[in-house]
Amino acid sequence: MNDLSLATQQAVILLFKADPQIWEIIFLSFSVSLRAILLAAPPAILIAFYLSYFKFPGRHFLISLFNTAMAIPAVVVGLTLYLLLSRSGPLGDLQLLFTQDAMIIGQIILCFPLLVALSHAALYAMDRRAWETAITLGSHPARAFFTVLKEARFGLTAAIIAAFGRIIAEVGSSMMIGGNILHYTRNIPTAIALETSKGSFAQGIALGIILLLMALMLNLILSWIQSRSGAHHD
Amino acid sequence: MTELKYTTAEGLKVQLDNINLCKNKQIILQNIQVTLSSDDFILMTGQNGSGKSTFLKIIAGLLKPDSFNLNYSEQLKNNSWQSSKKFLRQHFCYLHQTPYLFSGSVYDNIAYGLKYRGLNKAEISHKVHEALELISLPHLVQRNSQVLSGGEKQRVAIARSWVIQPNFILLDEPFANMDKHSRHRTYATINQLKEDNIGIIITSHDPHRGELDFNKQMHLYQGIISEKEYESNA
Repeated sequence: MNDLSLATQQAVILLFKADPQIWEIIFLSFSVSLRAILLAAPPAILIAFYLSYFKFPGRHFLISLFNTAMAIPAVVVGLTLYLLLSRSGPLGDLQLLFTQDAMIIGQIILCFPLLVALSHAALYAMDRRAWETAITLGSHPARAFFTVLKEARFGLTAAIIAAFGRIIAEVGSSMMIGGNILHYTRNIPTAIALETSKGSFAQGIALGIILLLMALMLNLILSWIQSRSGAHHD
Repeated sequence: MTELKYTTAEGLKVQLDNINLCKNKQIILQNIQVTLSSDDFILMTGQNGSGKSTFLKIIAGLLKPDSFNLNYSEQLKNNSWQSSKKFLRQHFCYLHQTPYLFSGSVYDNIAYGLKYRGLNKAEISHKVHEALELISLPHLVQRNSQVLSGGEKQRVAIARSWVIQPNFILLDEPFANMDKHSRHRTYATINQLKEDNIGIIITSHDPHRGELDFNKQMHLYQGIISEKEYESNA
């Protein structure tokens, strides 16, 4: 217990001292996960919209597939990508293993099903009259699509925040295909794993605090957005 | 960019035939043939579930029937629903029984159909205010659309349709769940539309004409439409 409180005190000191190494890791984490979300969100939302608004054979199967894929363990994604990207693997020539690009690919694979499934839920629950109204008022289907997205923006933002929460905290895939290389592919979760294995708990706890603060911040943003949505209906 | 047509002085006459729709092996519409003119003021009656809304959505280009023929001009002869969809959406505007107002202000809603039509802000603002005068609700211009009463929402939705000057406005049970006062106000707004030479079809399960000077009644029963002409009240 004493060890824990001592390590926590040291962690807070580390954070207040603005240890450059810690901030570099934090920046790298955000940079990789933000790029992954930005690349994954547009096609995921488009697929979710297609699944919600159009009927085609195999639609229910696809929805079940995305729902199931939400539960894929990060370490399985890491292992699969490792096998594909390693020098002897089929995509070895791309020389992506142990790069930030490989981490981004891993995180995209991890957040994509979550983005599709949660966006689909948000768009499916959306009143269909919004689409019909936009069309009957002369909108091109592309504009009607953006109108529906705007109307469903609170649900879609929640989907994006949940997906971001998943990838910023995942360790399995980043560790296996990023390689935890200092200044290059070491992010918050892989750094915590490393510091813990070294027994330097203070740095691990400091990074853990950052992850918790970030989760708190994301939730505060989400409730602020939802309260704005509530204000529209008051 | 769609050119906005501010006058319907030339009117529009379309012939629709061979409209068929089956849903779950049940005939909804059977070989319907109607001629609609923008001089028409039609009361469409039929029991709940008789297919009135379905018919309106088909002719508004929102719902695909099993078969459909549109005859308008030499160029538009024997056109399927798919190839007439754009034409239908351009000339017919459908209003839901409970209209959907987009999030935002009353102004945003009425201006929605005017955007991307090559109008500048001042022209849009002028048209929106003109539409609010039509429905006698100019004081609500900046009001949040979600806080309006049912009757106000209905009238704002009518103004939003009127402002884009379609050839036909299709009102689906506009008086359902409306108190006497709102009903009276809405009658006045609809009568105003007639003066602008906009064809109107109003569905109702109640065959009473109220304060509206319909020229035709269409009755939908077991998928078949029967028509009768009214003598003018004027």
